[in-house]
Amino acid sequence: MSFVSVQNLQKSYAGSPVFNDINCQIERGEFVTLLGPSGCGKSTLLRCIAGLTAVDSGRILLDGNDLVPLSPQKRGIGMVFQSYALFPNMTVEQNVAFGLRMQKVNSDDSQARVREVLQLVELQDFARRYPHQLSGGQCQRVALARSLVTRPRLLLLDEPLSALDARIRKHLREQIRAIQRELGLTTIFVTHDQEEALTLSDRIFLMNQGRIVQSGDAETLYTAPVDVFAAGFIGNYNLLDADSASRLLQRPIGSRLAIRPEAIVLSLNGELEGLVRSHSLLGNVIRYRVEARGVELLVDVLNRSSADLHPDGQRVSLSIDPTALCEVA
Amino acid sequence: MSRAEPGSATLYHRLVVYLLFIILLLPLAGTLLYSLATSWSASLLPSGLTFKWYLALWSDPRFLAAFGQSLLVCVGALLLSVLLILPLLFVVHYHFPRLDALMNILILLPFAVPPVVSSVGLLQLYGSGPMAMVGTPWILIGCYFTVALPFMYRAITNNLQAINLRDLMDAAQLLGASTFQAAFLVVLPNLRKGLMVALLLSFSFLFGEFVFANLLVGTRYETLQVYLNNMRNSSGHFNSALVVSYFLFVLVLTWAANRLNKDKS
Amino acid sequence: MNSITRGKWLALLCLVPFAVFFIIFQIAPLAWVMLHSVQVESTWGLDNFSKIFSSKFYRQAIQHSLEISFWSSLFGILIAILGSYSLRRVDSRLRDFVNAFANMTSNFSGVPLAFAFIILLGFNGALTMLLKQAGIIEDFNLYSKTGLIILYTYFQIPLGVLLLYPAFDALREDWRESAELLGAGAWQYWRHIGLPVLTPALLGTFVILLANALGAYATVYALTTGNFNVLPIRIAALVAGDISLDPNLASALAVILVGLMTLVTFVHQWLLKRSYHVAR
Repeated sequence: MSFVSVQNLQKSYAGSPVFNDINCQIERGEFVTLLGPSGCGKSTLLRCIAGLTAVDSGRILLDGNDLVPLSPQKRGIGMVFQSYALFPNMTVEQNVAFGLRMQKVNSDDSQARVREVLQLVELQDFARRYPHQLSGGQCQRVALARSLVTRPRLLLLDEPLSALDARIRKHLREQIRAIQRELGLTTIFVTHDQEEALTLSDRIFLMNQGRIVQSGDAETLYTAPVDVFAAGFIGNYNLLDADSASRLLQRPIGSRLAIRPEAIVLSLNGELEGLVRSHSLLGNVIRYRVEARGVELLVDVLNRSSADLHPDGQRVSLSIDPTALCEVA
Repeated sequence: MSRAEPGSATLYHRLVVYLLFIILLLPLAGTLLYSLATSWSASLLPSGLTFKWYLALWSDPRFLAAFGQSLLVCVGALLLSVLLILPLLFVVHYHFPRLDALMNILILLPFAVPPVVSSVGLLQLYGSGPMAMVGTPWILIGCYFTVALPFMYRAITNNLQAINLRDLMDAAQLLGASTFQAAFLVVLPNLRKGLMVALLLSFSFLFGEFVFANLLVGTRYETLQVYLNNMRNSSGHFNSALVVSYFLFVLVLTWAANRLNKDKS
Repeated sequence: MNSITRGKWLALLCLVPFAVFFIIFQIAPLAWVMLHSVQVESTWGLDNFSKIFSSKFYRQAIQHSLEISFWSSLFGILIAILGSYSLRRVDSRLRDFVNAFANMTSNFSGVPLAFAFIILLGFNGALTMLLKQAGIIEDFNLYSKTGLIILYTYFQIPLGVLLLYPAFDALREDWRESAELLGAGAWQYWRHIGLPVLTPALLGTFVILLANALGAYATVYALTTGNFNVLPIRIAALVAGDISLDPNLASALAVILVGLMTLVTFVHQWLLKRSYHVAR
């Protein structure tokens, strides 16, 4: 029996289903990500697990007990919101202590635990500040501390990094992952950012239109997308229809084909002739737009030195790693 | 912004603003001067200055009673408004956000139905019978609640929108707070300042309400505005002192509300 | 039952006290007025309305109300436009001060305002006497239609400034700059960009001023002790006067007044939805 088990969960708003028959299992101590475009139902699923949104039917088992009849107060779940949701009238300390105050923990214990958890997020010097005196990254660390201090059985993170700018985002996500590992805390993370999902998660549930499309570790999702949506959402796959694919590989192919741009190698002599149409520099990678047998392909090449650059209009040869060819539904 | 304007344009705009200020100031300044004058007729300036009108006013027991009664009615009406509107706003915005559209239509009613119209029905409905209230301060308290409603509703709504009510409530509940605890410990403290501003401003316009007070209650529970109207036949200087005193009181209230609004960090 | 839906029922219960008070003091009186406007001596009919429209006296009241409201709103909004546009273009200290002052004077209406005007512009008012002596005016009657229009205009100005000042925010400086770079002169800028952007706000403000003036009772009552013939005065006289009480006729007049106001309010809401500066 898994630690968290979502069974046949259904939810609709005003007659139109948000999701239908969701099933997923999460192991103790696992860090899983619900990944998907906005409106795919991932946040609603998270709110259902937290008890903030009522489900229509189905069960959510946590350590063998059904959460569905319980109010959010009694579920023992911690949650971090995209908007931080810090109480603006309270200091950092008071915010973090709020959950303990609700549990009527005595003030000595409470103070010690607040201090401990503030140390964990490296904010011990900010205890007396108010939220409006903190930066976004600091706010989110306070929110994390606040959700950790009550020692939840399950931690939910609802796009906690989306409101932050890129550099802080990277730093904070590593910090979150380190803390999660240290505490061995079972965590569900919601994001629409594939890079975040791939770098952080033990396992990813890819969602689209209220369904879990694919689940697995980052490696699997990245290299073996199950369908066009998965291929399109993760990485910058070249997606070819059956006709183009057959023409390119010169053998009959029955379904659509996905090829990662970095799985194609450019050289000056190879079996497949192509013409460089244009190129753009993406930092450490150069992305070529190459036409071969009437099919346009994106090809990513590591940017080693400018001497290797293929100018626009140059004839090149392509070779495609056959294991990287991925037939998708 | 900072755009180089030709000097003549700057001068023009300053002139217009000064003119606007003078137009708005003139009746007030005139009344102030008149209230301080021993007598004033057909000359640019009054013949002498005195405080005797203010002394006479502030030692008139009828004035003091009217002032006190006005205070009581307004405070009562605002207490009632807070008790009725706060839960309403909370429930609408947290549980039934779609009701907000309906509320926005309902709160147009006090605008579209002038007090003189409501009074027609109120006089007939509550003039006698089981709910006879005409002639008592209670009917004024109820009516003033409807007068304050649109303004209070809008003002507090703006405050609620600024604090992200839903996430705060959700966060508090996940941390173990009941809905009541969450509302009192987390939401209410954050509305305090906005609520104070709304109350001060509502107070300043309720204090000037005349129609309901005169038609529904009149001299049976004389408020300041009704007293002012009933004193029409006394000395103009005395009346001016009354007008100036009233306006100064309202000025202090609106000034306090402005200050409070500005330090909002 | 699920704990979330139970919470919703409890929440609905919290709405009951509000609903009770709102019905007693707002809905019920309005409903009474509506019902009784079409009642004559315990039968139904439109007699009250035909009585009003066939009476010269009541027609005059309606006409006076409309005239005073229209002219005072027009003068009020013109002054407010000039004022709030210039307010945007003076230094911030002067701007904040005059703005705050306009805010405060918006509470200066009704009885106190009427008294202030009597003192200044009444038959023996200081300003009247002064102007007479200087030979600028022959005579001035504050208690006439002209007098009332001046008085109403005065209390429309602060409200107009209050409503229009934020509307000028909609005019962004970079629009003017782009227009200039594209070759538009000042007049063309106003003709093609400035005015079209402001129009909904201007009309909306005008309409609010109109409603404000139509419903005004205190000022004209205090000024003329109820002797000037406008709609609100007529309504009040029929329910609280000394002589002929006729609540049903008062109701019919009230319905006419509310009809005018509702029309005006709906037009305003409609214009507001089309206005550019309401970011929603």
